[in-house]
Amino acid sequence: MTITSLGVGEPHTIVGGILSLIHAGMVPIAMLVLVASILVPLLKLLGISLLLLNVHYRWQGHAKKWTVLYRIIAFVGRWSMLDIFMISILVALVDMGRVAQVIAGPAATAFAAVVVLTMFAAKNFDPRLIWDNQR
Amino acid sequence: MTKINFIACPECDLLLNPARPLLGEKVHCPRCGYLLQRPRKQSIERTFALSIAGFILIFPANLMPLIGIKMLGNSKDGTLWSGVISLFEEHMWGIAILVFLSSILFPLLNIILSLLISTSLFFNKPNRYLANWMRLLQHMDEWAMLEVYMLGMIVACVKLASTSELKFGFGLYAFVALLIITGMLASSLDKVLFWRYINQLKK
Ligand SMILES: [Zn+2]
Repeated sequence: MTITSLGVGEPHTIVGGILSLIHAGMVPIAMLVLVASILVPLLKLLGISLLLLNVHYRWQGHAKKWTVLYRIIAFVGRWSMLDIFMISILVALVDMGRVAQVIAGPAATAFAAVVVLTMFAAKNFDPRLIWDNQR
Repeated sequence: MTKINFIACPECDLLLNPARPLLGEKVHCPRCGYLLQRPRKQSIERTFALSIAGFILIFPANLMPLIGIKMLGNSKDGTLWSGVISLFEEHMWGIAILVFLSSILFPLLNIILSLLISTSLFFNKPNRYLANWMRLLQHMDEWAMLEVYMLGMIVACVKLASTSELKFGFGLYAFVALLIITGMLASSLDKVLFWRYINQLKK
């Protein structure tokens, strides 16, 4: 997104937003955004890949732990929407013509697509496959 | 022919004898640990009452201002809808639709479906759509994201607090109340019990 203040615009990225929160001393909030928008999507993709490898190569044992991994992935996905909601609130509130304005950038759409697609991916994974492969 | 009543665990397909747990007990799948049932006190009555309360709250939460800001002499109020509208005006269709679905439409449908289902069960009125409604409700659960929206709102407030003056509108109180009600709704609705009643009503 781009934040314009008094005619001076500067594009903000997710990482930039986190850094500016840290500079402002809002470390807990910065951590929250870091976890929700960067760590969760990354770990989720990694987790889904591991689950698919597990099922594909019929890894034996620890089926219960794999099921727990699946549950965590299915649960945390929605929290990545935090950034999207935050942008929608900022876009609505900070809309004062030339004085200050927030405009959502193309990365917002890409990020939203990641969140939705990984949610569908997690939803379409069938945890029964983990158990079917156990001998 | 004897009829065998087994249920399959939805997460690992293990065949189980259905248990009839008492209040306060939880039934977990012995193999994968999936929470199969957790009976709730007066599940139907509570779901009925909570969905009425939620249905009333959804109007102020949607229509009244949540947060207002004052920045360099300009002030602006934001409702749930204004974010969606601004995104539309900036031609961010995808995000606008996503925000609309997850913060407005799905929470609304969630409450309407709970209201419809619990009304039919509460008054013992069979309805041929009951099973469809219930299935839809279970699928949609995950896509209503009021609590995530709330967190987004907090982060946005923190970002704005340094440059502008914030004020909280009545809509915000309604929104928080709605959030609590939907949370209670989700925990009061005993799916196994509801399905059993839906089946009984069909006969
Ligand atoms: Zn199971």
